[in-house]
Amino acid sequence: MSTNEKSGSGGLSSPGGASVPASRLVSSLAPPGEISPADIDRSCCVPLLALLGGAALWLVVGSVLGLLASIKFHAPDFLANCAWLTYGRLQPVADDALLYGFCLPAGLGVALWLLARLSQTPLRGAVVPIIAANLWHLGVFVGLMAILIGDTTGFAWLEFPRGGSVPIFFAYLLLALWAVMIFAGRRERGLYPSQWFLVAALFWFPWIYSTANLFLVAWPVRGVTQAVISWWFANNLLVVWTGLVGVGAAFYFLPKFTGRPLQSYYLALFGFGTFILFATWCGIPPGAPVPVWMPTLSATATVLFFVPLLVISLIGLRTVWGSVRSRWDNGPFCFIGSGMDFFCLSGLMLVAMACPKISPVTQFTWFGPAETQLRLYGFFAMTMFGAIYYLLPRAVGIEFPFPKLVRVHYWVSLLGITLLVVPLAIGGVLQGLKLQDPNVAFADTTKAMLPFLRVSTLGLTALLLGNLLFFVNVLGLTLRWKLALLKQFIAFVKSPLEPGSACASLRPDKEVGA
Amino acid sequence: MNDESKSSTPQTPDAEPTVSRSTVPIWIIVLTLVLLFLGMVYFDHHGGWFNSQVYGPYASAAELELYQPKSGEAAMLARGKAHYDQVCGLCHGLDGLGKPGQAPPLAGSEWVDTKGLQRFVSIPLAGVSGQLAVKGQTWSLSMPAMGAAMSDADLADVLTYIHSAWGNKQGPVTADEVKAIRAKLGAHPQPFSSETLKALPE
Repeated sequence: MSTNEKSGSGGLSSPGGASVPASRLVSSLAPPGEISPADIDRSCCVPLLALLGGAALWLVVGSVLGLLASIKFHAPDFLANCAWLTYGRLQPVADDALLYGFCLPAGLGVALWLLARLSQTPLRGAVVPIIAANLWHLGVFVGLMAILIGDTTGFAWLEFPRGGSVPIFFAYLLLALWAVMIFAGRRERGLYPSQWFLVAALFWFPWIYSTANLFLVAWPVRGVTQAVISWWFANNLLVVWTGLVGVGAAFYFLPKFTGRPLQSYYLALFGFGTFILFATWCGIPPGAPVPVWMPTLSATATVLFFVPLLVISLIGLRTVWGSVRSRWDNGPFCFIGSGMDFFCLSGLMLVAMACPKISPVTQFTWFGPAETQLRLYGFFAMTMFGAIYYLLPRAVGIEFPFPKLVRVHYWVSLLGITLLVVPLAIGGVLQGLKLQDPNVAFADTTKAMLPFLRVSTLGLTALLLGNLLFFVNVLGLTLRWKLALLKQFIAFVKSPLEPGSACASLRPDKEVGA
Repeated sequence: MNDESKSSTPQTPDAEPTVSRSTVPIWIIVLTLVLLFLGMVYFDHHGGWFNSQVYGPYASAAELELYQPKSGEAAMLARGKAHYDQVCGLCHGLDGLGKPGQAPPLAGSEWVDTKGLQRFVSIPLAGVSGQLAVKGQTWSLSMPAMGAAMSDADLADVLTYIHSAWGNKQGPVTADEVKAIRAKLGAHPQPFSSETLKALPE
C-alpha cells in the first residue's frame, strides 16, 4: 500500500530512544497494509517540532512581556523612558505572543496529530506543513516587532499589520489544508466527536481572520460597525476557536486517560451544535453604543451558551467519573482535567457577564480580563500542555529530558492561574460596585485595585516560571532529536558501502536518547 | 520518573478512544427550550426589534417616541393619549370603540364628534347616569365624574386627543375653555341625565 512508503523509508522517521513504548515494538509486527499508530506519530514528527518548538518560545516571550506590562500598573515609572516598552505596546505584544505565538500553532499542531491519529492516516508531504510552520512563526515575529515599533492596526487581538497578518493567514491555510487532506483521505470512515470540533476549527479561523482584516484593515467599514466587527472577531477567536480545539482535544484525551468511552456520541453532537450556534453570537458588551438589538441578542446568546457549557461539562464528568484511574497519577491528565475545569469556570464567568443584573457591575472592570486570562491560560494553554506532553514524545520517538518537571510545571501553572485570575475577578467585582456608588471618587476606585494588581503580577511570575519549565523540556527534546539525527548521519557516513546494510544502519541504536 | 512516563501511556497502548451511544437526557432538551423561550421574551422586551434607531437604554421604538420632545398640539396629543390610556381607556377602550356593559364608544359618537364643547366638556366634569342613546344604541349605565379631579390643562389634553383620535375630526380643546365650563357647572355638579344633557347648548 502506498501509504507505507513514507513511513517505511527515510532516516527521519525511524524510531529511536531507549524508552520506546511497547506499542512501537508491536507496530513493526503489524501486517502489511496496516498502519500502526507509531507510524502515524512519526509522520508528524518534524512539522510538530517546528510548530510546537516555536510555540514554546513565543509562550516564554509572551509571559516575560506580560509580566513587564503588569508591573507597570503599580510602578508606572518602570521602563517608561523607552517608547518600545510603554504599556500601550507591551500589553498587545504580550497578548498576541500568547495567542498567535503559542495558542494557534499549538492548537494547529495538536489538531494535525489528532486528525492523523483519528483518521488512521499518516501525514504525507511533510515539507509543506514544515514550511508553513516556519512561515507562521516568521509572521508572528514580524507582527510583534511591528507592534513594538508602533505600527499596529489598533484593534484588540487583531493588532498585526499586513506584514504579519498575511504570512500567518497563508501559513494557516496551508496547515489547515494539510489537516483537511488527512481528514479527507481517512481510512477510518466513522467520525469521532473530536473530529467535528477540530475540522470546524480549521475552517473557523480563515473565515473570521480574513473577514476582520478585510473589513477593518484593508477596506475599513465606517463608524461603529468597526467596533462590532472587532468584538465579533475577538469573541470568535478567543471563545469559539479555542473552545473547538481545546474541547476537541479533551474529548480525545479524557477517554484515553480514563480508559472509558466518551459519554456519549449524541450528547457530544448536541454540545457541538449548540456550541457553534450560540457561542458565535456572543461578545458584544451589554452597554455597547450600538443599536440595542445587537447587545440584547448577544446577551441572549451568551446566556444560552450555558447549554453547551453544561453539556460539555457533563460529558467530561460522566467520562471521568467511575474511572479507576486517578487524574493525579498522570501528568498530561492533570493538565487536561484542569483545562476542562477552567473551561467551565471561564464559561460561567462569560455567562455571568451577560446577565442583565450582573453586567452593569462587571462592565468596564478587571472582571473581563480575568475571564480572558482564565480562558487562554487556564483552559486553552493547560489543555495544550497536556496534549503536547502526551504526543510530542510519541511523535519524535524520544522522551522528554526532564519528566519530573511536568509535575512541577502543572502545580506552578495552577498556582499562577489562581493568583492571576482570582484577585482580578474579585477586584473587578469590587471595582464595579464602587463605580456604581456615586459617593466613591473615581481615583479611590482605581487605587483600591492596586493590591489585587500586585497579586496578579505574582501570578504572572509563577506562570512565567511554569512556561520556562515547559520550554526547557521542549528545547531539551528538540536537542536530543537533533543529536540523534547527527549520530545517525555519522553512522551512515561511517558504514561500509554494502548494498542492504545502508538501510540497516538507519535502524535505531540503543544509545540514542538514553 | 519512570512511573510518570509509564502512567501516561494507557493500558491498551495507543488504542484510539471510543464513544458510547447513550442518548441525550431529556432534561437538557427541556432546559434548552426553557432558556430559548426566556431568551425570546427577553429579546422581545429589550431588543427594539432590529430597529436601527433604537439605542440603549431604550428598549423599543414606542418607548423612544415617548421621550421625544414635542410642542404645541403634538405635545397635547401625546400627553392626552397617556392620560386617556390610564384613565378613560379602561372602559371606553384604547381604540375608543367602547366596551359592552361598561361604556359606549367615543369614536364617531354624536356626543363627542361635535363642534360645540358644552356637552362634550361637561360629561367628564359631572358624570352621566341613566339611559343615553349613542350611535343608535341605548346605554343604561352611569359614568362617574372622571375629569373632576384633573387639572384644566390635563383634561384639555385628553379631550383634544379624543377629539382627533379614531376618525373623530374636531379641533383642539384649550385649558381656558375647560376652565370656563368648569366654572359654569359650579363646585359639586350632579351627574347629567340624557334630558339635562340635551338641555345644554351644544
